[in-house]
Amino acid sequence: MSVIIILLIASISVAAIFLIAFLWGVKSGQFEDEYSPPSRILFDDKPSSSTKTK
Amino acid sequence: MPSPDLTAKKTQCYHCGETCPNERIQRQEKNFCCEGCKMVYQILNQSDLCEYYNLNENPGISQQIKLRKDKFAFLDDEKIQVQLLSFRDDKQVHVTFYLPQIHCSSCLYLLENLYRLNDGVISSKVNFTRKEVDIVLLTGQTSLRKVAETLTSIGYEPYISLNDLKEKRPAINKSMVYQLGIAGFCFGNIMLMSFPEYLGIDASETGLRSIFRWINFGLAIPVLLYSALPFYTSSWKSLKHKVLNIDAPIALAIIITFIRSAYEVISGIGGGYFDSMTGIVFFMLAGRILQDKTYRQLSFERDYTSYFPIAISVLKEEKEIPTALPDIKPGDTLLIHNEELIPADGILTKGKAFIDYSFVTGESLPVLKEVGELVYAGGKQTGGNIEILVVKEVAQSYLTKLWNKDAQIDIGVKKEEQSKSVSFVHLLSRYFTYIVLSIAIATAVYWQINDPARLWPAVTSIFIIACPCALLLSNTFTNGNILRILGRNHFYLRSAQTIDDVAKATHIVFDKTGTLTTTQQQNISYKGTELTAYQQQQVAALAACSSHPLSKALAKHLSTEKRTDVAGFKETTGQGIEGFANDDLLKLGSCKFVTGIAERQTGTAIFINIENKLYGYFLFSNHYREAIPDLLKKLKGNYRLSVLSGDNEAEKENLQRLLGKKATLLFHQKPEDKLQYIQHLQQHGEKVMMIGDGLNDAGALKQSDIGIAVAEQTNNFTPSSDAIIEAKQLSRLNKFIQLCRANRNIIIASFVLSIVYNIIGLFFAVQGNLSPLVAAILMPSSSLSILLITFGSSSLLAKRMKL
Amino acid sequence: MQETNQSMQVEKFYYDNKIVKAFGYATVIFGIVGMIVGLWAAIQMYYPAISLNLAPTTFGRLRPLHTNAIIFAFVGNASFAGIYYSLQRLCKARMWSDKLSWIHFWGWQLIIVAAAITLPLGLNNGAEYAELIWPIDIAIALVWIIFGINMFGTIIKRREKHLYVAIWFYIATWVTVALLHIVRSIELPYSATGSYSWYAGVQDALVQWWYGHNAVAFFLTTPVLWLMYYFLPKAANRPVYSNRLSIIHFWSLIFIYIWAGPHHLLYTALPDWAQSLGVVFSIMLIMPSWGGMLNGLFTLRGAWDKVREDPVLKFMVVAITCYGMATFEGPLLSLKSVNAISHFSDWTIGHVHIGGLGWNGFMAFAILYYMIPKMWGTSLYSKKLATNHFWLGTIGIIIYAVPLYWAGFEQSLMWKQFTPEGQLRFDFMQTVTNIKYMYVARSVGGTLYLIGAFIMVYNLYKTIAKGTFIPNEAAEAAPIVKAVSQKKEYWHRVIERKPLTMLVLSLILVAIGGLVQMIPTFLVKSNVPTIASVKPYTPLELQGRDIYVREGCYTCHSQMIRPFRDEVARYGEYSKAGEFVYDHPFQWGSKRTGPD
Repeated sequence: MSVIIILLIASISVAAIFLIAFLWGVKSGQFEDEYSPPSRILFDDKPSSSTKTK
Repeated sequence: MPSPDLTAKKTQCYHCGETCPNERIQRQEKNFCCEGCKMVYQILNQSDLCEYYNLNENPGISQQIKLRKDKFAFLDDEKIQVQLLSFRDDKQVHVTFYLPQIHCSSCLYLLENLYRLNDGVISSKVNFTRKEVDIVLLTGQTSLRKVAETLTSIGYEPYISLNDLKEKRPAINKSMVYQLGIAGFCFGNIMLMSFPEYLGIDASETGLRSIFRWINFGLAIPVLLYSALPFYTSSWKSLKHKVLNIDAPIALAIIITFIRSAYEVISGIGGGYFDSMTGIVFFMLAGRILQDKTYRQLSFERDYTSYFPIAISVLKEEKEIPTALPDIKPGDTLLIHNEELIPADGILTKGKAFIDYSFVTGESLPVLKEVGELVYAGGKQTGGNIEILVVKEVAQSYLTKLWNKDAQIDIGVKKEEQSKSVSFVHLLSRYFTYIVLSIAIATAVYWQINDPARLWPAVTSIFIIACPCALLLSNTFTNGNILRILGRNHFYLRSAQTIDDVAKATHIVFDKTGTLTTTQQQNISYKGTELTAYQQQQVAALAACSSHPLSKALAKHLSTEKRTDVAGFKETTGQGIEGFANDDLLKLGSCKFVTGIAERQTGTAIFINIENKLYGYFLFSNHYREAIPDLLKKLKGNYRLSVLSGDNEAEKENLQRLLGKKATLLFHQKPEDKLQYIQHLQQHGEKVMMIGDGLNDAGALKQSDIGIAVAEQTNNFTPSSDAIIEAKQLSRLNKFIQLCRANRNIIIASFVLSIVYNIIGLFFAVQGNLSPLVAAILMPSSSLSILLITFGSSSLLAKRMKL
Repeated sequence: MQETNQSMQVEKFYYDNKIVKAFGYATVIFGIVGMIVGLWAAIQMYYPAISLNLAPTTFGRLRPLHTNAIIFAFVGNASFAGIYYSLQRLCKARMWSDKLSWIHFWGWQLIIVAAAITLPLGLNNGAEYAELIWPIDIAIALVWIIFGINMFGTIIKRREKHLYVAIWFYIATWVTVALLHIVRSIELPYSATGSYSWYAGVQDALVQWWYGHNAVAFFLTTPVLWLMYYFLPKAANRPVYSNRLSIIHFWSLIFIYIWAGPHHLLYTALPDWAQSLGVVFSIMLIMPSWGGMLNGLFTLRGAWDKVREDPVLKFMVVAITCYGMATFEGPLLSLKSVNAISHFSDWTIGHVHIGGLGWNGFMAFAILYYMIPKMWGTSLYSKKLATNHFWLGTIGIIIYAVPLYWAGFEQSLMWKQFTPEGQLRFDFMQTVTNIKYMYVARSVGGTLYLIGAFIMVYNLYKTIAKGTFIPNEAAEAAPIVKAVSQKKEYWHRVIERKPLTMLVLSLILVAIGGLVQMIPTFLVKSNVPTIASVKPYTPLELQGRDIYVREGCYTCHSQMIRPFRDEVARYGEYSKAGEFVYDHPFQWGSKRTGPD
């Protein structure tokens, strides 16, 4: 079953990528505020008519 | 489209949801409670930000209290700016404002669209948990002050206190999360690679098996060297103090497990216990993080600087110059506006001071000071502007000294006391460790005599299996869950240790004003000749003209819809008011003001004189918080109770009735008195729980074994304490205490269960044949069952207590 | 300094709706095509004449076409439409490069068209869900990389600091699918269209189902979860129930999914420990899956009145419920005792269609109903028609799945029955004719579902006619402004860019490390126990195998005899790993419509 080694390498490297992503996420404060991000997606970001084009 | 039933019920302000006094303030068919709210609506409407109102109903903050125009003038001061900004270059500056008003997604929406209201703002990002907004602004187009004013104009006045001048708050330590992440990654993969062996990988695949083992070995190293660090450091610290805490045997177990496993892999005799080792580290870290999860939006460590403004107007050559507080020198003349805090001790030089000291002394009514009198820092001016000649620097004033005194006590008495209160968990673990050690020695002796070859396998297995990690897990997870449940009920504890302290309390001391009673409402009763409805109207109309708290309360109490014309209104500060209401001359005020005779009244009263006829008086008494009598009734059976009040004795009888005869009631208590009383109780062996709200309780709160600060809203400021409770929840204090008491039982119960697992494990271990599979089954099953028991029973209990 | 200059203003920019529109249209077109092909194949089960007696339209060739069309064309395009719509809005940025967007779009459609041509022609390399021939495999890899560059480019230039949980799912999907596709597609070409899998027999089987199951995970689950995490809160106008739950569920899901694959190979010649590994991980999967489902359903708490009104939410509720059912059933089916009955039977087909029709299909419909009115600046033409579509679809799913569960259970039990004398009670054919009416019922369910889809096409057509397309939707947002002191700027910036650098670097490192380790492994003689009598195939035998693969025989027949009394009695001695050492690829199939 030597093929499992390939699968292992593949899977562990994927897991390692996600570990790095997780650490980056923690470092850059991605998981700090649990309220804002889910609420923020609900807002429309249409430019207001009154804003001047800069 | 106004709904038809709008008129049926009370009209709500479209902006803030408060009841509108009348329906006169309208705009686009929407009702507002005040001009302020209407103005905010107009601003938002102009900038196309009315989405604000669609996200939540009545999301705004009441604008009834108006702000002074140049309140934020100090933000133009270069020196103050430098200390507030987190970054600046020649074009842009970054600043973080604390906005305690943030409460819903509408706030988020509005604040992040700030650039539409102020052209100079590039971006504004809200951190909801911390109630902060990070703003980037262009210095060319706007200024810090303008941004603060924009925020204020839409109802989000930045809270800038003297505390902001100090060092920036330390960054949150994330290393535990990194350690958890790495432990999780390693544990997951090790588990994956241990399975084939447990699932009976064929003997023919020895090559594969040893690859799995070596990968496990490699993956366990980061856990040993990095993830388990907190356990090493903690046990090292405790060993240095010559005490054995729970982390010491755990650290030992981790290291022994690793060495034994490494030996097995290197010599090729087995796969080792890497999965158990990394798993336990992972679970223990998770428990720690859960337990240490702090309420970031709250602060338990406030000192006077959090209450003091950052700057104040100093009068120099007839000009108001905003000056940073530390720069105020004796001899400066300060201009104090309505609702502003007096930051330094001084002599009143101009105006009539009507100072609300409730925060410092607990007295519920403002105190009148005449020109030439000494005013102490910490009071809040109510009424007109006053001028004060500073006699002492801010850091030297009465209040700050009071604080420093607390700090001294803190170092002197409390420190010593703190090291004594070690969590019972550590005691348990100590016994546990001794027992394990003796079993290990006995086993070693036995095998030394009978079969020396099995000595090391047996002894190492004992340490692996008998690691008190189950105890640690049950402790951290129960604490974490209890903290979470209490937090959900707006009772916030500083740390897990506090749970234990709450459970141990024997004597509960209450502050009166603001704690048992609310400062926002008063009971008003009338004595004397009956007033007609028409007369009541007249009184209300006149009272409404004054900003004195008592007048306001009276006006509210008698509030009527009908209009009454008031003419010739005249207020004698601290005495009373007079004027014509519908052409009748009314005089309201103190006994002396109305009748001319100084009569000593117990309690607070407003005398009424209409057309030169004395009718009677309105008597004001404290309004107890809802369900407080009920709470006291429940508590008095189990605890000794005391009330310490800075106020007069008017309420004595009432309180005695509520608290029972045995309770101690002390009045006219200065902050130092309160503190000494607590010390006195402690010397008699009591574990004191102090519940208070103001700065006058600060010393007592610190001195007590568990100090609980009461806050009207959690974003209000509270003195330094071990716990913060929202005022509305105070009535459920007995339930919270009960839950904290249950905490210990849950921990012990789950610990007993874990000992059963340990005994099973030890049964294998002493014989020297603990297989990795047995360990791998025992470890997760004990951990999981502990998690279930602790989480389940604490949640169930909370549910049964309706928390 | 230059960076600060360019980021001095609130920026006005435009979302690219054209690309979303293109992917949306492709979703509808290929969805309909894929469903028609599926229906066609389903009818052949009881009315073979409908194959028109033409080789390209026989079941063996249509079935790969159906699965590929549904997975890669329908769900794939729907996910891309969803990602191009939501990623721009979540990142508050237009896609990094319009050019790459269009290369991705046309590349992907070309691949689909190529698949639609090659599969009926019998150009098939014999691995389920990876049947496409090697040149198309390479094209997929290239298009995927282009998509990845465009996606990461957009994430980097985003104006919103926080990555919403949906973006984590995009990233996970991209990384994992890239790896899965590459590992599965390692094959040795022998002609312009033909190739043999690099792996053989049992090893090929393990790779296949490692891939196959993860394709379900990372092509049919995580992308649809991102649709759920973005479009459900948007449609319900309330934030997701628990952001924390979504993050925890994400991290555990992607970890556990990777190893669940061997549950497709229970009782086969795969070593026992490897089978059990699959079982253990499959059972663990239920927790993160249900975490996701509950998070979705709880998002609607207090908003059930909106569900009554809004067809978009209706579709989503059923989709999420189907997800919950399928992810509960999945671990159940991977229990060995259940699998002994369900495997090779129609039960599996019913199971995947709960996921396919319910979870994937309904979620795709929901986002089309959501996005199209928005992009055309109008409202849906008819809520009533959409509701009718919803009911037709839901009833269709029930009529589809229930008979198949019944058929699978019944047939499997019939296979296993013996007379008291020890003879097989039923002839194979008897077990097939017995469930014929279930197949009829199934195609009725499929027809209802298809009719619903046609109603949607009409409804969307009318909606589009009613509105005006907004090709570039205006938006404004402030850039992320970084507070960096000028002195440290250089290396600080390096750190800021680190996530991507680290990602790329680690990918390269992993690839090199993987290769270094893989090569010796392959030089080491495979330790699958060999059987002396098993010899390499003769040219004639190989020719025969090629025909077997070409005609898609593996879609109905299996070369794997499991160690059960009835299978041994019916087909002979059970299979051992050593028998397959020359099988590139293995042909164990996953469904036994006919005897072996």
